[in-house]
Amino acid sequence: MKSRVFQGALALTALALSCSAQAVTDEMLIDSFDGPSAGPYSDAEAARFLQQTTFGPTPADIQHLRQLGYASWIDEQFALPASLEVPYIEWVGSLGENVHQPARLEAWFLHVMGGPDPADPTNPAMIHRDQLRQRVAFALSEIFVVSDVNESIGISALAMSSYYDVLIRDAFLDYRQLLEDVTLHATMGRYLSMFRNQKPDPALNIRPDENYAREINQLFSVGLFLLNPDGTRVLQNGEPVPTYDQTTVRGFASVFTGWNWHACDDWVNCYPGPDESGWRLPMDPMESFHDESGPDVDGQGRHYKQLLVYPGVALPQGRLLEGGTARTDLTATLDNIFHHPNVGPFIAKQVIQRLVTSNPTPAFVARVAGVFNDNGQGMRGDLKAMVKAILLDPETRYGHRALPMTFGKVREPLMRLINLWRVTGSHAGNWRYSYPYPQFEFSQAPLRAPSVFNFFQPEFHAPGEVTEQGLVSPEFQIMSDAQVTRQTNDLGHRLVYGFADGGAHPTQVLIDEDADAALAADPTQLLDKYDLLLMSGQMSQTMREVILDELTAIPGGNLDGRRARVQDALYLILNSPEYLIQK
Amino acid sequence: MNRRNFLRNSLSAALGGVSIYSALGNMKLVAAAAAQQNTFTDYKALVCLFMTGGNDSFNTVVPISGPARAIYQASRQTLAIPASEVLPLTSVDGSSYGLYGATSSLDPVGTSGVRDLFNTGKAAVVCNVGTLVRPTTPEDITTPGFPLPGEIGAHNGQQNWWQTSRPDNVSGWGGRMADLLYTGNANRELPMTIAIDAEQVLLQGSIVMPYSMNGDPYGAEDLELINPAYANRREAFLRLMDEGTQRTHMLERSYARMMNRTIANYQGIAGALDAAPPLTTPFPTTLLGSALKMVARTISVRTALGMGRQIFFVELGGFDTHDNQLAAHPVALASVAQSLAAFYNATVELGVADGVTAFTASDFGRNTASNGDGSDHGWGGHHFVIGGSVNGGSFYGTMPNLTVGGPDDGYYGAVIPKISVDQYGATLARWFGVAPGNLNDVFPNLGNFQVADLGFMR
Repeated sequence: MKSRVFQGALALTALALSCSAQAVTDEMLIDSFDGPSAGPYSDAEAARFLQQTTFGPTPADIQHLRQLGYASWIDEQFALPASLEVPYIEWVGSLGENVHQPARLEAWFLHVMGGPDPADPTNPAMIHRDQLRQRVAFALSEIFVVSDVNESIGISALAMSSYYDVLIRDAFLDYRQLLEDVTLHATMGRYLSMFRNQKPDPALNIRPDENYAREINQLFSVGLFLLNPDGTRVLQNGEPVPTYDQTTVRGFASVFTGWNWHACDDWVNCYPGPDESGWRLPMDPMESFHDESGPDVDGQGRHYKQLLVYPGVALPQGRLLEGGTARTDLTATLDNIFHHPNVGPFIAKQVIQRLVTSNPTPAFVARVAGVFNDNGQGMRGDLKAMVKAILLDPETRYGHRALPMTFGKVREPLMRLINLWRVTGSHAGNWRYSYPYPQFEFSQAPLRAPSVFNFFQPEFHAPGEVTEQGLVSPEFQIMSDAQVTRQTNDLGHRLVYGFADGGAHPTQVLIDEDADAALAADPTQLLDKYDLLLMSGQMSQTMREVILDELTAIPGGNLDGRRARVQDALYLILNSPEYLIQK
Repeated sequence: MNRRNFLRNSLSAALGGVSIYSALGNMKLVAAAAAQQNTFTDYKALVCLFMTGGNDSFNTVVPISGPARAIYQASRQTLAIPASEVLPLTSVDGSSYGLYGATSSLDPVGTSGVRDLFNTGKAAVVCNVGTLVRPTTPEDITTPGFPLPGEIGAHNGQQNWWQTSRPDNVSGWGGRMADLLYTGNANRELPMTIAIDAEQVLLQGSIVMPYSMNGDPYGAEDLELINPAYANRREAFLRLMDEGTQRTHMLERSYARMMNRTIANYQGIAGALDAAPPLTTPFPTTLLGSALKMVARTISVRTALGMGRQIFFVELGGFDTHDNQLAAHPVALASVAQSLAAFYNATVELGVADGVTAFTASDFGRNTASNGDGSDHGWGGHHFVIGGSVNGGSFYGTMPNLTVGGPDDGYYGAVIPKISVDQYGATLARWFGVAPGNLNDVFPNLGNFQVADLGFMR
């Protein structure tokens, strides 16, 4: 604890020294003694924290956070019951409805919206409050990607929900557990071809499938290039250094052989089972299909599988010698990955990018990676500690002041819709969130990326300044002309044509404009509310004036007029440059 | 590679060392320097069809008989396409080759349209193309320090390299072509580079920012709520964007500029498209068919748009056939073939067949071995070039030896390309109108290869 505060204070000092005197604000001075974990000291600060940790601040959340303070709020979130998808889709099935991907999407929207559960909307024990967990799980779903675009898993909502539940549960466990649960989940197995991957058959020139071997390294753990502890690439003679080569991919491919549905006793004639336990439970091995040997041979004639090599690697020269079983090979291999020094910066940087800022300073990444490497109690890969370290870091708390040109991130398109729903408290009468195909209008949907490379890549940089300055802006990759037009139009249509007229629609989520219409009699009050809840009080005076000019030109003497003011205020804000960037 | 090293971008070298990315407005200097281009009096278009995931080209152009057939069968075993399912194309080096027919009970047409284009001289096959820095042998691959094109076998890395010919993804070669040629279009404001239903870097230039549209029928969509009919709202929206371009935060400025460009480009394109007479050529009602139809429709209004040169990008996924390849691959191939055949027919309808060249690309070809029910990542692969100006009916380059561990095997079954993307692209670029002296700037590795023009364009 003490060392964390000390480290925070040091970082704070460094941040303060690195920016101009004006940028050192009251916030920083107040906090400098207690560290960034003290606070929030205003509704706006609270809202800003909640933008990073929830799917949109609400007045109640702001007040609750101000009572607890950041650290206790985070701890409370860690302890809240997790909202899981499988029970929800089973409930949908119990109503006699078909359970396909639309039901899964309902579950996802319900959990990220939070609030009452449709199974029992008045039961306070069933209110969904685990916002931070859902936010982190969504971030993980954009790293450990599976997608229902792949029909072999898209045919089953259970397959997809069961996988997402792994991310929800493991978000606050540890990385090693997450890596194993992801690897052995049949949905991932079928998505990246580890499922029923077989040992070699030289006569038929059949070699083990390399799909999972490649992507577990490239995307889920270490990445293509060696990283410094601060997430920057190691350079040798000005060139990046690959983390592994084709020999390593082959080695991993041989490890990931012999796995099939849970409790299979026949390699081919085996199925998920009438209770679908194959989707719910981890894959199991059949030893006769596992490559216990390996594609390479060492100086003593022993076969082996080449794994990752790095300083301190447990396996001599990173070689997994012959003679293991599917399970012992898997354990040794996941351990081999887990202890690679790349993992901390590789994972930390991406979670920072999903929650806080697209271009963290290397020092920030290094601090968080350090916590990943050791949570202060000697444990590696503690995801709770990593998340807490991100959220309480001075760069997260003050970056918008210290780095006003670059701190922050583009809000994901789907997040804008959820922000709209949360800021207006919109919901259906039955508390279900039916929106089965968001990908058409918002270019993304949970577990529906076009490929294992997610909707956008961490390295994407928009043409122009972002590219020139060597920065990245991942979310802009799904905001091309065609895409941003659809996103802007959909938000506008919902506001102008899709609002609730006299109470919530029984089954559809229409935009509730009436509560805010009351405020709209005084457009200043309306903008105050949206400025706080959508923009953390960061709306510029110019933006405020532009919108006020437009709103006051709309007569506000009746409900229609006040609703029109709400519609235009939200349309202009949700599509504005200042709102688009979460900072 | 340090991104700031793109100051060594070859395009800047062409301009005497002027850095495109120096602060504050050097882009105008570059534009002026590049504006040596006379206005085009003819029309040419390049259309890239990117097969995302790595097309198994060894099961696309397939040996039918001869020594290559025996090798193919021995390497591919359970993945081998029966000779009876291959549509003959031509013979090279003592073996006959054809196009996998990819027919089924649901689809009797399969890939026959592309076979027909080949036989009428409108389609060519370019053999064993792939990412290369310089000509590469199997021994080179294990030589420390030998320059290789990024991470062979990694999807995003190889997609980037195919489209950029660079280790970073700052700009694509299509974008660099546009940067050099856009001043030859009567309309310099509207992007000459257009992507349909696709995300890509090929068209990313330093000056010309590509426009993205939806496939047919949607095309360019209006920002409906700021239609001029809603004058106050429109004005407020545009004021926010203008203010956005002046903001301190770089990402806010980027978004505001993007939105302003979207609005301006829409205004430039939509009216022309709406006024165009409909095409009569039928297109497959698939995403790819709709995308290529939109390309054809956009070409049909080239004069109204003031375009003499355009580059388009479309893509189709589903080629990463690790699993279930024998069922999945023919469907994807047939889709590509039927869409390309329809597109060619549309260019004939529009009277621009000689001016439009479509070409395929992909992350990589696939491994010669099977993984049981599919194939893993490879390297070199075959591609098609289709259009009225193609020297069709021939294979260009040499067909590789698919022997496992044989002379063309780079890494455990990934075949080393013998033609580089630079050479492939440069042949297209030369036809398109890039001056020979500028080709090395568009294709930074071109100078490492003896042949800059592969000869498949007339």
